[in-house]
Amino acid sequence: IFLMGQVSGRQERSKKPEVALSETMEAEIEVQNNKKEIEEVKAKNPKLTSVFGVADLKNEAVGLYNLGQTCCLNSLLQVFFMNIRFTGILRRITVPSSAAQKRSNVPYQMLLLLEKMQCGKCKAVCPRDLAYCLSEHRVKLFVQYDAAQLFLTLWNLLKKQIRKPELVEELSDLYTICIQEHLACQKCSFEIKSNSTMLTLPLPVLDANSHRLSTLEDCLQYFFLPEELTGQNMCFCQQCGKKTTFLQSMRLVHLPQTLTLHLKRFCFERSSRTHKLGHFLQFPQELNFREVLTEDQCQADDSEKATWQYELFAVVAHSGSTGFGHYCAYIRSLTECKWYCFNDSEVCQVSWDDVKCTYGRSSLNWRETAYLLFYMKKHPQQPCPGVSECL
Amino acid sequence: MAQWQEVQSLANTYQEQVHQLYAGSALPMAVRQCLAAWIEDQNWRQAAEPLSSGHARMLFHSLLVLLGECLGSLGSGHEEFMLKHNLRKAQRDLQAEFEKQPEGFANLVANLLQEERRILRLGQAGGQGGSAPVASPAPESGREQQIQRRLAEFHTALQEAERAFRHLEDLQDAFDFCYKVHYQPAEGRSNDPGYIQELQTLQAKLQNLDRQRREVLAQMQQLLGRSETLQELLREELGGWRVRQQRLCLGGPGDTNLRPLETWFTELGQGLFQLRQLLRALNDLRQKVTYERDPLVAETPLLEQRLQEQLTHLLKSAFVVEQQPSTPNPGKRPLVLRTASKFSTRARLLVRLHDRNHHMEARIHIDRDPPNIKGFRKFNILTSSSKTLLAGDSPQEGLVCEFQYLTLKEQKDSRAGKGKGTSGEGPLVVTEELHLITFTLAYAYCGLELELETTTLPFVIISNNNQFSSAWASILWFNMLSSDPKAQQFFSSPPPAPWPQLAEVLSWQFQSVAERGLSRDNLLMLAEKLLGSKPSLDSTVPWPKFSKDGPAGFSFWAWLDGILGLLQEHLKQLWKDELILGFVSRKQEKKLLKSKRTGTFLLRFSESVLGGVTFTWVEHHEGGSPTFHAVDPYTASELVSLALPDIIRDYQMMVEENIPENPLKYLYPNTARDEAFGPYYSQRQEGTLNENQKYLNRRLIRVSSRQPSKWQTEEELVVATENLETLQLQPRGQGTQQAGGLPLSQPQSSGTPQGTPGNVGTPHGVATSPGTLQGVATRPGTLQVASGSLGTPQGVATRPGTFQVASGSLGTPQGVASRLGIAQVTATSPGTLQVIPGSLGTPQVTATIPGTLQVTPGSLGTPQVTATSPGTLQPTGLGMLQPQPQSLEPAQVGSGVPNIQGTLHGPPGAVGTVQVLPGGLGMLQVGSGDLGTLLGEQGTVAVGTGTLQPVPGAVEPPQVPEEQGTLPPELELLPGSQDVQELLQGLESGSGTLEMLEVAELMPNMVEPLGENFQLSAGSAALLDRHDPFLPLPEDSALPAVPSLFTDLPPLQIDASDFQ
Repeated sequence: IFLMGQVSGRQERSKKPEVALSETMEAEIEVQNNKKEIEEVKAKNPKLTSVFGVADLKNEAVGLYNLGQTCCLNSLLQVFFMNIRFTGILRRITVPSSAAQKRSNVPYQMLLLLEKMQCGKCKAVCPRDLAYCLSEHRVKLFVQYDAAQLFLTLWNLLKKQIRKPELVEELSDLYTICIQEHLACQKCSFEIKSNSTMLTLPLPVLDANSHRLSTLEDCLQYFFLPEELTGQNMCFCQQCGKKTTFLQSMRLVHLPQTLTLHLKRFCFERSSRTHKLGHFLQFPQELNFREVLTEDQCQADDSEKATWQYELFAVVAHSGSTGFGHYCAYIRSLTECKWYCFNDSEVCQVSWDDVKCTYGRSSLNWRETAYLLFYMKKHPQQPCPGVSECL
Repeated sequence: MAQWQEVQSLANTYQEQVHQLYAGSALPMAVRQCLAAWIEDQNWRQAAEPLSSGHARMLFHSLLVLLGECLGSLGSGHEEFMLKHNLRKAQRDLQAEFEKQPEGFANLVANLLQEERRILRLGQAGGQGGSAPVASPAPESGREQQIQRRLAEFHTALQEAERAFRHLEDLQDAFDFCYKVHYQPAEGRSNDPGYIQELQTLQAKLQNLDRQRREVLAQMQQLLGRSETLQELLREELGGWRVRQQRLCLGGPGDTNLRPLETWFTELGQGLFQLRQLLRALNDLRQKVTYERDPLVAETPLLEQRLQEQLTHLLKSAFVVEQQPSTPNPGKRPLVLRTASKFSTRARLLVRLHDRNHHMEARIHIDRDPPNIKGFRKFNILTSSSKTLLAGDSPQEGLVCEFQYLTLKEQKDSRAGKGKGTSGEGPLVVTEELHLITFTLAYAYCGLELELETTTLPFVIISNNNQFSSAWASILWFNMLSSDPKAQQFFSSPPPAPWPQLAEVLSWQFQSVAERGLSRDNLLMLAEKLLGSKPSLDSTVPWPKFSKDGPAGFSFWAWLDGILGLLQEHLKQLWKDELILGFVSRKQEKKLLKSKRTGTFLLRFSESVLGGVTFTWVEHHEGGSPTFHAVDPYTASELVSLALPDIIRDYQMMVEENIPENPLKYLYPNTARDEAFGPYYSQRQEGTLNENQKYLNRRLIRVSSRQPSKWQTEEELVVATENLETLQLQPRGQGTQQAGGLPLSQPQSSGTPQGTPGNVGTPHGVATSPGTLQGVATRPGTLQVASGSLGTPQGVATRPGTFQVASGSLGTPQGVASRLGIAQVTATSPGTLQVIPGSLGTPQVTATIPGTLQVTPGSLGTPQVTATSPGTLQPTGLGMLQPQPQSLEPAQVGSGVPNIQGTLHGPPGAVGTVQVLPGGLGMLQVGSGDLGTLLGEQGTVAVGTGTLQPVPGAVEPPQVPEEQGTLPPELELLPGSQDVQELLQGLESGSGTLEMLEVAELMPNMVEPLGENFQLSAGSAALLDRHDPFLPLPEDSALPAVPSLFTDLPPLQIDASDFQ
């Protein structure tokens, strides 16, 4: 049973990159990715390279037992494992040398779990070792997590603990979104531009007047809508030498292979209790950003934009209320092109109709509603070595 | 269906895969087949888990035992010999291979079953062709199949969950037992290695139990997820059904059978209730054994919430109004209710689950939450408003509550006070006021109690049948445009209708009334009429334009509904068989007919007359452009006595050569008239005149006189005496005598109207049957005199300038004029012309439209002439009207002179003179008579002198059918008797009187406007509607714009009377 919407931002339009919100987890990704830790690869396991490149999901999808409050983790793990581009990276990691290191290395434990899932003939396996490993990194067992938050945590742990720099780069390429933030003084021509990277686009589901947005495209458009900072939000302008009204806008620079969208289906009331927004919000199976965003919301050339065509890959859905609920994942197998629903140990093949059911409905509060959406690029732009080999 | 059975019914290609699966398998297919049901019933996957070795062993041995039993039960037949051998071999092999590792065997079976399921899925999804014939008689849509497949999967998954639950029970019992026996914490035992081992076993058992609990919970989560999808699909199906029901209410096509939905809802409901039981049982298990981080503690409340919400939602949406409120009516139009008349409505609960011992009560309320509209009427439902939900004896009938024989009564203390007057005060008229009936049901089943409710579609409550048509218009508009069935305020600001949608709905109206919808061309014409231009996809029609009065004096809808009524009553078959082109604009009509040969005609609906149908034919002239003729529209009042095919068959045109001919030869495009309409002609009675027959056969036919340079054709009703095969229009001596003085008028030549009086003082007129007399005048300047002997004479005038005289003897004569400038006179007993009968009854002449004339007799012997509205007529006018003394009775003369310009009238004056003056527009007359005389003439033109004066006859019945003043030279009177001389004298003296009456004063005033008005009166319809497509357009150059006074003669009147 997992919480949703605990940490990951407020409903007021917070346009700060998602990474800034995960401070409680102390797992940050570098903004402006300048500093890259480069560590020498210390050991290699030749056995693993032989496994490398094998398409995952050999038989049927395999479930993961719930260890107690791990439905959120299970759902996210399934999303990672069903992504062959991710497993292509995971299978090439360096195996830690010592037993203790092995025990506490998240990528390695994930790989072990993946192998267990693929080799076993069982319908579900137990992610116990990974769970213990994560608990060493402040992801406690038997604690309710928000899926968006846990996703960031997991990803950051992965990035931190994968030693090979090329793999780290691949991982970043696979998931990070590049945007450019613009702050323009409305009094003079002073402009501040800054590039930042994000792992997810935290999309509000209500607009400024608290009206419900009813399509994903609307959410995206609203997210990229320029905002005037006035009154208390005014910024200091260096040229004017005082606080002035600024226009804040965001431009899309680059979109990754796997695009993660976070529907902020919760809002804070005065009583500081969050409640879930379960209203109908439609998302498409195919998403073309060029059709959604206007020219000035993009900061990219045509060849980049040409790749902004996506297909829905996975939906992490939540049922229940904010403090009390259940996560499951709908994932489209990239090899079979079939949808599966993962409810912990229970896996079954489903159809698009089932996925559509997670659009939500106001009158049904306990129903599964989409919370995280994962889109996959239709045509990979520059075949990175890992991916190409993997294919 | 059991898995193995399904596998066997797969298509060949998939069966092949199954064969391959078992070819290399350690489990022979023979064993699978022999123990199919048992194998599928076990949880092999569970048994294959390393920790549950006991389970796997137990299963393995059970299988061997069962196999042995199976072998024992096999007979000694030849075919079973091989099977026996195979099974025996399998038993040996299995025992040898898996005795040591039953888990391996469990794993093997689990994998086989899983693989079978995979093949099954493939086969059932892709194997449309060649797959096993499923026992479904009707081809089902993909949607239905999908729902059924999902329901089946749901139930399979539910069974699996139940199986897993039973296994969980076993595990828990085992653990519970071990725990009670072995767990004895005491000092010193912690070092006992045996005890430690037992504790470890116990720990393992608990682990196992915990995992099984989590597995069951995950299964239930999954089940709830799938049922959410199922509910979503059912919701869509139900939505589709609602739309179909709404369309069906409007007369559209659609199947509103609820049976499949009921089955699906019930199955899903059953599944959810089962799941609910399961969840309760899980809670019971938790009561017995719980531990730290027990998943049951954490997760069951969530599952309960989800399940409760789903069940509630399912049940709430399953309560539907199956039959919308309706009263029986010919148009099969539901949702229009009339106060005090009975109606019925029915609701159904699609989830057919109930407790037989618990009676559920359904109630109905009307307007439970009335909208805040001023003057909104309130109603009570008379008769009982509650009912026990009946399950019916057979489960097929379902859970239904039907309310029949309901009646509505308006609350006297409605907001605006007196109930009657409220309708006009609110912003909504009665027919735009929408009402709702709400059904509520106290549902209880298996401990779940819910208050369900559903509402009908909004309906309109009327108090009078004449509101029906506009009420139906409201229903059409609402159901076409509203997606919210509870929007009672809809007509506070009704949205416009997109034309394509409206077109479809209009077509349904025709479809449901006469089994043929509207063609593209029909709709195009209607669109142009409504929109004024060619319709585009986003053209919209505002509500007032559709339903409120238009320029013609009636709304578009009233016009269309008039046509629908006409179709339903009289023309259903012709419309259905596409003989009526119907909606054709005049322009289009000309275009169609232009290229056709002379005599080609088409049937279309009148645009100026409510519920009128007419035909137009084309005539080609040498060297000239073709001319088109249309006959004055027929309405229900005419068609009720004469069917349209018969009218077409017998239609006559009076031409100059005096040979009547039927100008209707070919039905457009090119079908011979009799070929097209032959099947619809009524049986013609061959009139063989024998001695037993008292009367000649007769039938009504329609004729028109040709009016040169007139587009329109005048037409009257004639009684034709049918003697032989030929129709004779000539009065025949024999005939008239036999008929007791049945005269026939005959037009002599074009444009020369003549009235032919019959024998001894017989009036002209039409008697449709002995005793009743009815006269119908249809054109300007025409005259009709009708008289009858016994019944109630009645005259109906429908056009400007027409005139009618009806007379009867005993009944109450009544004349009704319905149009501008119509005069009506009523006369009673035979031979006596009384404009106003004054004897005993209360005769009344009523005129209802502005410019018409009303003659009302006052008390005994005091005639009164009253006219309403513009052009009023007063008894105190210019002395034009005079009562005439009759021989016996006090003289009653009422005379009508429609006068548009001013008033015109004389009070009953001196004795013995009656005068009637044709007034303003040159229509008019009056007849007077004595014994047996009836007099009537149309005074088309009364210029200058313009008066008509009847002469009272003393003993002999004089006849003065007359044109006065500048009588057109063509006009001739054909005396039917010897009274001609007197007649002529009468005329002369009449004109003398006229001068004395100083009409001249009036006349100069009349002359001016006359010329102008005359144009109008010449083409009668012009008075009504300048846009009438029947009217000549300027480009019809053959027609003189201003017809000459004298060449444009009034139409011919032919009258016949049949009285004994």
